[in-house]
Amino acid sequence: MGSDTFTQLVDANYAPLYRFALSLAKNQADAYDLTQQTFFIWARKGETLRDSSKAKSWLFTTLYREFLRGRRRDVRATALEDLPPDEADPPAPAVDVVSAMDAEVVMNALQEIDEVFRAPLTLFYLEELSYQEIAQALDIPVGTVMSRLSRGKSQLRAILAQRDKGARGNVIPFSAQRLRQTP
Amino acid sequence: MNNEQARFILGAYRPNGRDAGDAVFCEALRQVKADPGLGAWFAREQAFDSAVSAKLGAVIPPPGLREAILTGGRVSTAAPRPLWRLAPWLAVAASVAVIFTVAATYWIWSAGSGRADLGQMTRFALTDPFSAHTGPHADKLGALGAWLEDPASRISSGAPVDLAQLKAQHCRTISVAGHEVFEICFQRGSWYHLYLARRGDFPAGKNAGAPVFLEQAQRSAVAWADERLAYVLVTHGGTEALRRIL
Repeated sequence: MGSDTFTQLVDANYAPLYRFALSLAKNQADAYDLTQQTFFIWARKGETLRDSSKAKSWLFTTLYREFLRGRRRDVRATALEDLPPDEADPPAPAVDVVSAMDAEVVMNALQEIDEVFRAPLTLFYLEELSYQEIAQALDIPVGTVMSRLSRGKSQLRAILAQRDKGARGNVIPFSAQRLRQTP
Repeated sequence: MNNEQARFILGAYRPNGRDAGDAVFCEALRQVKADPGLGAWFAREQAFDSAVSAKLGAVIPPPGLREAILTGGRVSTAAPRPLWRLAPWLAVAASVAVIFTVAATYWIWSAGSGRADLGQMTRFALTDPFSAHTGPHADKLGALGAWLEDPASRISSGAPVDLAQLKAQHCRTISVAGHEVFEICFQRGSWYHLYLARRGDFPAGKNAGAPVFLEQAQRSAVAWADERLAYVLVTHGGTEALRRIL
Protein backbone atom coordinates (compact mmCIF):
# COMPACT_ATOMS: atom_id res chain seq x y z
CA MET A 1 0.00 0.00 0.00
CA GLY A 2 1.39 3.39 -0.95
CA SER A 3 2.33 5.89 1.71
CA ASP A 4 -0.20 8.43 0.38
CA THR A 5 -3.02 5.89 0.37
CA PHE A 6 -2.20 4.87 3.92
CA THR A 7 -2.15 8.51 5.02
CA GLN A 8 -5.56 9.08 3.40
CA LEU A 9 -6.95 6.01 5.12
CA VAL A 10 -5.63 7.21 8.48
CA ASP A 11 -6.95 10.74 8.00
CA ALA A 12 -10.41 9.49 7.07
CA ASN A 13 -10.76 7.02 9.91
CA TYR A 14 -8.50 7.57 12.89
CA ALA A 15 -10.80 10.01 14.69
CA PRO A 16 -13.99 7.89 14.57
CA LEU A 17 -11.96 4.80 15.39
CA TYR A 18 -10.48 6.55 18.42
CA ARG A 19 -13.99 7.58 19.57
CA PHE A 20 -15.18 3.99 19.21
CA ALA A 21 -12.12 2.77 21.12
CA LEU A 22 -12.70 5.34 23.86
CA SER A 23 -16.29 4.23 24.35
CA LEU A 24 -15.13 0.61 24.65
CA ALA A 25 -11.95 0.99 26.67
CA LYS A 26 -13.20 3.86 28.85
CA ASN A 27 -9.78 5.47 29.13
CA GLN A 28 -7.65 7.52 26.77
CA ALA A 29 -4.44 5.52 27.03
CA ASP A 30 -6.07 2.22 26.06
CA ALA A 31 -8.14 3.92 23.34
CA TYR A 32 -4.92 5.42 21.96
CA ASP A 33 -3.22 2.02 21.90
CA LEU A 34 -6.24 0.27 20.39
CA THR A 35 -6.47 2.80 17.55
CA GLN A 36 -2.77 2.61 16.86
CA GLN A 37 -2.78 -1.19 17.01
CA THR A 38 -5.67 -1.34 14.52
CA PHE A 39 -3.73 0.61 11.89
CA PHE A 40 -0.61 -1.38 12.70
CA ILE A 41 -2.54 -4.57 11.83
CA TRP A 42 -3.88 -2.89 8.69
CA ALA A 43 -0.36 -2.03 7.59
CA ARG A 44 0.62 -5.66 7.96
CA LYS A 45 -2.51 -7.41 6.70
CA GLY A 46 -4.83 -4.84 5.15
CA GLU A 47 -3.38 -5.23 1.69
CA THR A 48 -4.99 -8.66 1.52
CA LEU A 49 -8.38 -6.93 1.47
CA ARG A 50 -9.27 -6.78 -2.21
CA ASP A 51 -12.29 -4.51 -1.92
CA SER A 52 -10.92 -1.18 -0.70
CA SER A 53 -14.46 0.12 -0.14
CA LYS A 54 -14.65 -2.25 2.82
CA ALA A 55 -11.58 -0.79 4.50
CA LYS A 56 -13.65 1.21 6.98
CA SER A 57 -15.67 -1.81 8.10
CA TRP A 58 -12.47 -3.82 8.31
CA LEU A 59 -10.89 -1.24 10.60
CA PHE A 60 -13.86 -1.09 12.98
CA THR A 61 -14.11 -4.89 13.01
CA THR A 62 -10.43 -5.23 13.76
CA LEU A 63 -10.51 -2.65 16.53
CA TYR A 64 -13.44 -4.40 18.18
CA ARG A 65 -11.72 -7.79 17.95
CA GLU A 66 -8.54 -6.35 19.38
CA PHE A 67 -10.55 -4.90 22.25
CA LEU A 68 -12.16 -8.27 22.94
CA ARG A 69 -8.83 -10.02 22.67
CA GLY A 70 -7.26 -7.57 25.07
CA ARG A 71 -9.48 -8.42 27.98
CA ARG A 72 -11.21 -11.45 29.21
CA ARG A 73 -14.93 -11.26 28.62
CA ASP A 74 -16.69 -11.39 31.94
CA VAL A 75 -19.78 -13.41 32.70
CA ARG A 76 -21.96 -10.35 32.76
CA ALA A 77 -21.10 -9.33 29.24
CA THR A 78 -22.01 -12.72 27.82
CA ALA A 79 -25.20 -13.05 29.79
CA LEU A 80 -26.73 -9.68 28.99
CA GLU A 81 -28.86 -11.03 26.15
CA ASP A 82 -30.82 -12.88 28.80
CA LEU A 83 -31.79 -9.77 30.67
CA PRO A 84 -35.51 -9.02 30.73
CA PRO A 85 -36.61 -6.29 28.33
CA ASP A 86 -36.93 -2.77 29.62
CA GLU A 87 -40.41 -2.07 30.86
CA ALA A 88 -40.75 1.23 29.08
CA ASP A 89 -38.63 3.85 27.41
CA PRO A 90 -37.51 6.32 30.03
CA PRO A 91 -38.25 9.92 29.13
CA ALA A 92 -35.42 11.33 27.03
CA PRO A 93 -33.89 14.63 28.05
CA ALA A 94 -34.86 17.42 25.68
CA VAL A 95 -32.65 17.74 22.63
CA ASP A 96 -31.44 21.20 23.63
CA VAL A 97 -30.39 19.74 27.00
CA VAL A 98 -28.24 17.14 25.22
CA SER A 99 -26.88 19.83 22.92
CA ALA A 100 -25.89 21.93 25.92
CA MET A 101 -23.96 19.06 27.52
CA ASP A 102 -20.22 18.74 27.12
CA ALA A 103 -19.07 16.07 24.66
CA GLU A 104 -17.22 14.46 27.57
CA VAL A 105 -20.45 14.11 29.56
CA VAL A 106 -22.16 12.38 26.64
CA MET A 107 -19.13 10.13 26.10
CA ASN A 108 -19.12 9.22 29.80
CA ALA A 109 -22.80 8.37 29.56
CA LEU A 110 -22.10 6.11 26.59
CA GLN A 111 -19.32 4.42 28.55
CA GLU A 112 -21.78 3.54 31.30
CA ILE A 113 -24.00 1.53 28.98
CA ASP A 114 -23.67 -2.24 29.16
CA GLU A 115 -20.97 -3.35 26.78
CA VAL A 116 -23.12 -5.48 24.47
CA PHE A 117 -25.28 -2.45 23.77
CA ARG A 118 -22.48 0.09 23.86
CA ALA A 119 -20.52 -1.23 20.88
CA PRO A 120 -23.40 -1.14 18.35
CA LEU A 121 -24.78 2.09 19.79
CA THR A 122 -21.44 3.90 19.50
CA LEU A 123 -21.02 2.66 15.94
CA PHE A 124 -24.54 3.87 15.17
CA TYR A 125 -23.88 7.34 16.60
CA LEU A 126 -20.58 7.61 14.77
CA GLU A 127 -22.75 7.31 11.64
CA GLU A 128 -19.93 5.71 9.70
CA LEU A 129 -21.48 2.25 9.33
CA SER A 130 -24.98 1.12 8.40
CA TYR A 131 -26.82 -1.33 10.66
CA GLN A 132 -25.79 -4.11 8.25
CA GLU A 133 -22.13 -3.13 8.46
CA ILE A 134 -22.42 -2.92 12.25
CA ALA A 135 -23.79 -6.47 12.22
CA GLN A 136 -20.79 -7.63 10.18
CA ALA A 137 -18.30 -5.72 12.32
CA LEU A 138 -19.64 -7.19 15.55
CA ASP A 139 -20.44 -10.57 14.01
CA ILE A 140 -24.07 -10.58 15.12
CA PRO A 141 -27.36 -10.84 13.16
CA VAL A 142 -29.02 -7.69 11.82
CA GLY A 143 -32.05 -8.19 14.09
CA THR A 144 -29.77 -8.32 17.10
CA VAL A 145 -28.22 -5.00 16.07
CA MET A 146 -31.65 -3.38 15.98
CA SER A 147 -32.59 -4.89 19.31
CA ARG A 148 -29.35 -3.76 20.93
CA LEU A 149 -29.73 -0.27 19.50
CA SER A 150 -33.19 -0.03 21.00
CA ARG A 151 -32.02 -1.27 24.41
CA GLY A 152 -28.87 0.82 24.29
CA LYS A 153 -30.79 4.00 23.49
CA SER A 154 -33.09 3.32 26.43
CA GLN A 155 -30.10 3.09 28.75
CA LEU A 156 -28.53 6.19 27.26
CA ARG A 157 -31.71 8.22 27.69
CA ALA A 158 -31.97 7.13 31.31
CA ILE A 159 -28.35 8.00 32.06
CA LEU A 160 -28.51 11.37 30.31
CA ALA A 161 -31.78 12.23 32.05
CA GLN A 162 -30.14 11.35 35.37
CA ARG A 163 -27.12 13.52 34.54
CA ASP A 164 -29.36 16.39 33.56
CA LYS A 165 -31.39 16.05 36.76
CA GLY A 166 -28.19 15.92 38.81
CA ALA A 167 -26.77 18.98 37.09
CA ARG A 168 -29.94 20.97 37.59
CA GLY A 169 -30.11 19.83 41.24
CA ASN A 170 -26.83 21.60 41.92
CA VAL A 171 -28.09 24.92 40.64
CA ILE A 172 -29.87 27.10 43.15
CA PRO A 173 -32.79 28.86 41.48
CA PHE A 174 -32.36 32.60 41.53
CA SER A 175 -35.73 33.15 43.19
CA ALA A 176 -34.69 30.96 46.13
CA GLN A 177 -31.61 32.99 46.87
CA ARG A 178 -31.75 35.66 49.49
CA LEU A 179 -30.54 38.91 48.13
CA ARG A 180 -27.84 40.41 50.24
CA GLN A 181 -28.72 43.90 51.17
CA THR A 182 -26.10 46.54 51.06
CA PRO A 183 -26.17 49.20 53.76
CA MET B 1 -46.23 -3.45 9.92
CA ASN B 2 -47.58 -1.89 13.09
CA ASN B 3 -46.15 1.23 14.74
CA GLU B 4 -44.17 -0.78 17.29
CA GLN B 5 -42.39 -2.66 14.50
CA ALA B 6 -41.82 0.58 12.61
CA ARG B 7 -40.22 2.15 15.70
CA PHE B 8 -38.02 -0.90 16.19
CA ILE B 9 -36.71 -0.70 12.62
CA LEU B 10 -36.37 3.08 12.51
CA GLY B 11 -34.25 2.98 15.64
CA ALA B 12 -31.42 1.88 13.31
CA TYR B 13 -31.98 4.73 10.85
CA ARG B 14 -28.97 7.05 11.02
CA PRO B 15 -29.79 10.71 11.56
CA ASN B 16 -27.49 11.80 8.72
CA GLY B 17 -29.91 10.31 6.16
CA ARG B 18 -27.39 7.90 4.66
CA ASP B 19 -29.90 5.06 5.05
CA ALA B 20 -32.60 6.76 2.98
CA GLY B 21 -32.08 4.38 0.05
CA ASP B 22 -32.21 1.22 2.14
CA ALA B 23 -35.29 -0.85 1.27
CA VAL B 24 -35.63 -2.12 4.86
CA PHE B 25 -36.57 1.38 6.02
CA CYS B 26 -38.89 2.30 3.12
CA GLU B 27 -42.12 0.82 4.48
CA ALA B 28 -41.47 2.21 7.95
CA LEU B 29 -40.77 5.66 6.50
CA ARG B 30 -44.03 5.53 4.51
CA GLN B 31 -45.81 4.78 7.74
CA VAL B 32 -44.12 7.76 9.39
CA LYS B 33 -45.59 10.02 6.72
CA ALA B 34 -49.05 8.50 7.09
CA ASP B 35 -49.25 8.54 10.90
CA PRO B 36 -48.76 11.94 12.60
CA GLY B 37 -48.15 10.34 16.01
CA LEU B 38 -45.43 8.11 14.62
CA GLY B 39 -44.10 11.07 12.67
CA ALA B 40 -43.75 13.15 15.82
CA TRP B 41 -41.98 10.29 17.59
CA PHE B 42 -39.60 9.86 14.64
CA ALA B 43 -38.79 13.58 14.55
CA ARG B 44 -37.95 13.52 18.28
CA GLU B 45 -35.90 10.34 17.88
CA GLN B 46 -33.92 11.77 14.98
CA ALA B 47 -33.29 15.05 16.78
CA PHE B 48 -32.05 13.20 19.88
CA ASP B 49 -29.85 10.86 17.80
CA SER B 50 -28.50 13.80 15.85
CA ALA B 51 -27.60 15.67 19.06
CA VAL B 52 -25.79 12.62 20.50
CA SER B 53 -23.94 12.06 17.21
CA ALA B 54 -22.79 15.67 17.18
CA LYS B 55 -21.45 15.33 20.73
CA LEU B 56 -19.63 12.11 19.89
CA GLY B 57 -18.11 13.77 16.84
CA ALA B 58 -16.84 16.58 19.07
CA VAL B 59 -14.54 14.23 21.01
CA ILE B 60 -11.06 15.17 19.83
CA PRO B 61 -8.39 12.46 19.55
CA PRO B 62 -5.26 13.19 21.60
CA PRO B 63 -2.48 15.13 19.90
CA GLY B 64 0.18 12.95 18.35
CA LEU B 65 -2.09 9.97 17.66
CA ARG B 66 -2.20 10.55 13.92
CA GLU B 67 1.58 10.92 13.66
CA ALA B 68 2.15 7.83 15.80
CA ILE B 69 -0.18 5.80 13.57
CA LEU B 70 1.51 6.99 10.38
CA THR B 71 4.97 6.21 11.70
CA GLY B 72 3.93 2.81 13.04
CA GLY B 73 2.25 1.97 9.74
CA ARG B 74 5.28 2.86 7.69
CA VAL B 75 7.52 0.79 9.93
CA SER B 76 5.26 -2.26 9.85
CA THR B 77 4.71 -2.02 6.09
CA ALA B 78 8.41 -2.63 5.75
CA ALA B 79 7.99 -6.14 7.20
CA PRO B 80 7.90 -8.68 4.32
CA ARG B 81 4.86 -10.86 3.68
CA PRO B 82 5.40 -14.60 4.10
CA LEU B 83 6.45 -16.17 0.81
CA TRP B 84 4.00 -19.06 1.14
CA ARG B 85 1.11 -16.61 0.83
CA LEU B 86 2.20 -15.45 -2.60
CA ALA B 87 1.55 -17.03 -5.98
CA PRO B 88 4.42 -19.40 -6.93
CA TRP B 89 5.83 -17.19 -9.69
CA LEU B 90 5.59 -14.20 -7.44
CA ALA B 91 7.32 -16.17 -4.71
CA VAL B 92 10.21 -16.93 -7.03
CA ALA B 93 10.47 -13.26 -8.01
CA ALA B 94 10.25 -12.26 -4.36
CA SER B 95 12.96 -14.77 -3.44
CA VAL B 96 15.29 -13.29 -6.03
CA ALA B 97 14.49 -9.82 -4.75
CA VAL B 98 15.09 -10.90 -1.15
CA ILE B 99 18.42 -12.49 -2.04
CA PHE B 100 19.40 -9.35 -3.93
CA THR B 101 18.27 -7.13 -1.05
CA VAL B 102 20.12 -9.21 1.54
CA ALA B 103 23.25 -9.14 -0.58
CA ALA B 104 22.94 -5.39 -1.12
CA THR B 105 22.28 -4.77 2.56
CA TYR B 106 25.27 -6.88 3.53
CA TRP B 107 27.39 -4.95 1.07
CA ILE B 108 26.21 -1.61 2.44
CA TRP B 109 26.64 -2.85 5.99
CA SER B 110 30.14 -4.06 5.24
CA ALA B 111 30.91 -0.66 3.80
CA GLY B 112 29.93 0.82 7.12
CA SER B 113 27.45 3.29 5.69
CA GLY B 114 24.10 1.58 6.35
CA ARG B 115 21.89 2.68 9.29
CA ALA B 116 18.50 1.94 7.80
CA ASP B 117 17.25 -0.51 10.41
CA LEU B 118 18.55 1.29 13.47
CA GLY B 119 17.04 4.34 11.79
CA GLN B 120 13.63 2.64 11.84
CA MET B 121 13.92 2.04 15.54
CA THR B 122 14.97 5.67 16.04
CA ARG B 123 12.08 7.02 14.00
CA PHE B 124 9.71 4.91 16.04
CA ALA B 125 11.20 6.17 19.31
CA LEU B 126 10.95 9.78 18.18
CA THR B 127 7.20 9.48 17.62
CA ASP B 128 6.29 6.91 20.28
CA PRO B 129 3.53 8.36 22.51
CA PHE B 130 5.38 7.47 25.69
CA SER B 131 3.28 9.89 27.78
CA ALA B 132 0.44 7.36 27.68
CA HIS B 133 2.49 4.46 29.05
CA THR B 134 1.65 2.72 32.23
CA GLY B 135 4.56 0.25 32.50
CA PRO B 136 7.06 0.20 35.37
CA HIS B 137 9.64 2.98 35.52
CA ALA B 138 13.32 2.50 36.29
CA ASP B 139 12.75 2.42 40.05
CA LYS B 140 10.88 -0.87 39.59
CA LEU B 141 13.61 -2.47 37.52
CA GLY B 142 16.17 -3.36 40.18
CA ALA B 143 19.89 -3.07 39.44
CA LEU B 144 19.43 -1.78 35.90
CA GLY B 145 17.00 0.91 37.05
CA ALA B 146 19.34 2.02 39.83
CA TRP B 147 22.25 2.09 37.37
CA LEU B 148 20.30 4.21 34.89
CA GLU B 149 19.37 6.76 37.56
CA ASP B 150 22.85 6.85 39.09
CA PRO B 151 24.39 10.26 38.20
CA ALA B 152 27.77 8.59 37.75
CA SER B 153 26.60 6.11 35.08
CA ARG B 154 27.40 6.74 31.43
CA ILE B 155 24.53 5.23 29.50
CA SER B 156 26.56 4.29 26.45
CA SER B 157 29.11 2.32 28.43
CA GLY B 158 27.94 -1.12 29.42
CA ALA B 159 24.49 -0.90 30.92
CA PRO B 160 23.78 -4.16 32.85
CA VAL B 161 20.92 -5.22 30.59
CA ASP B 162 19.28 -8.63 30.72
CA LEU B 163 16.39 -8.68 28.22
CA ALA B 164 14.87 -11.87 29.68
CA GLN B 165 14.79 -10.25 33.10
CA LEU B 166 13.24 -7.08 31.68
CA LYS B 167 10.47 -9.18 30.20
CA ALA B 168 9.90 -10.93 33.52
CA GLN B 169 9.65 -7.52 35.19
CA HIS B 170 6.86 -6.54 32.75
CA CYS B 171 8.97 -3.88 31.09
CA ARG B 172 7.02 -2.28 28.25
CA THR B 173 7.68 -4.04 24.93
CA ILE B 174 6.74 -2.83 21.50
CA SER B 175 6.87 -4.63 18.18
CA VAL B 176 8.78 -2.58 15.62
CA ALA B 177 9.03 -4.14 12.16
CA GLY B 178 8.17 -7.44 13.83
CA HIS B 179 11.00 -7.23 16.37
CA GLU B 180 10.81 -6.81 20.11
CA VAL B 181 11.84 -3.41 21.49
CA PHE B 182 11.94 -2.70 25.25
CA GLU B 183 11.35 0.74 26.70
CA ILE B 184 12.47 2.01 30.11
CA CYS B 185 11.65 5.44 31.53
CA PHE B 186 14.04 7.00 34.01
CA GLN B 187 14.80 10.40 35.46
CA ARG B 188 18.09 12.21 35.86
CA GLY B 189 17.04 15.82 36.00
CA SER B 190 15.15 15.39 32.73
CA TRP B 191 12.99 12.40 31.90
CA TYR B 192 14.57 9.92 29.51
CA HIS B 193 13.19 6.97 27.56
CA LEU B 194 15.66 4.24 26.67
CA TYR B 195 14.68 1.83 23.87
CA LEU B 196 16.58 -1.44 23.71
CA ALA B 197 16.59 -4.24 21.17
CA ARG B 198 18.80 -7.12 20.07
CA ARG B 199 21.38 -5.78 17.73
CA GLY B 200 20.72 -8.62 15.28
CA ASP B 201 17.14 -7.39 14.91
CA PHE B 202 18.20 -3.84 14.07
CA PRO B 203 21.53 -4.12 12.34
CA ALA B 204 23.53 -0.97 11.82
CA GLY B 205 26.88 -0.31 10.22
CA LYS B 206 30.23 -1.33 11.59
CA ASN B 207 30.62 2.15 12.96
CA ALA B 208 27.32 1.98 14.85
CA GLY B 209 29.16 2.33 18.14
CA ALA B 210 29.44 6.02 17.37
CA PRO B 211 26.27 7.71 18.65
CA VAL B 212 24.07 9.48 16.10
CA PHE B 213 22.00 12.43 17.34
CA LEU B 214 18.63 13.40 15.87
CA GLU B 215 15.94 15.95 16.70
CA GLN B 216 12.28 15.97 15.76
CA ALA B 217 9.24 17.83 17.11
CA GLN B 218 10.79 18.89 20.45
CA ARG B 219 12.28 15.47 21.03
CA SER B 220 15.95 14.65 20.85
CA ALA B 221 17.29 11.18 20.29
CA VAL B 222 20.62 9.44 20.16
CA ALA B 223 21.09 5.99 18.64
CA TRP B 224 24.02 3.63 18.97
CA ALA B 225 24.77 -0.07 19.23
CA ASP B 226 27.24 -2.34 20.94
CA GLU B 227 28.03 -5.98 20.20
CA ARG B 228 24.83 -7.24 21.77
CA LEU B 229 22.21 -4.51 21.72
CA ALA B 230 20.87 -1.54 19.76
CA TYR B 231 19.93 1.54 21.80
CA VAL B 232 17.88 4.68 21.25
CA LEU B 233 17.67 7.25 24.03
CA VAL B 234 14.98 9.96 23.76
CA THR B 235 14.24 13.04 25.84
CA HIS B 236 12.39 16.33 25.71
CA GLY B 237 15.40 17.91 27.43
CA GLY B 238 17.37 18.56 24.23
CA THR B 239 20.56 17.14 22.77
CA GLU B 240 22.64 18.58 25.58
CA ALA B 241 20.65 16.55 28.12
CA LEU B 242 21.51 13.44 26.11
CA ARG B 243 25.20 14.29 25.95
CA ARG B 244 25.31 14.86 29.72
CA ILE B 245 24.46 11.25 30.55
CA LEU B 246 25.87 9.48 27.49
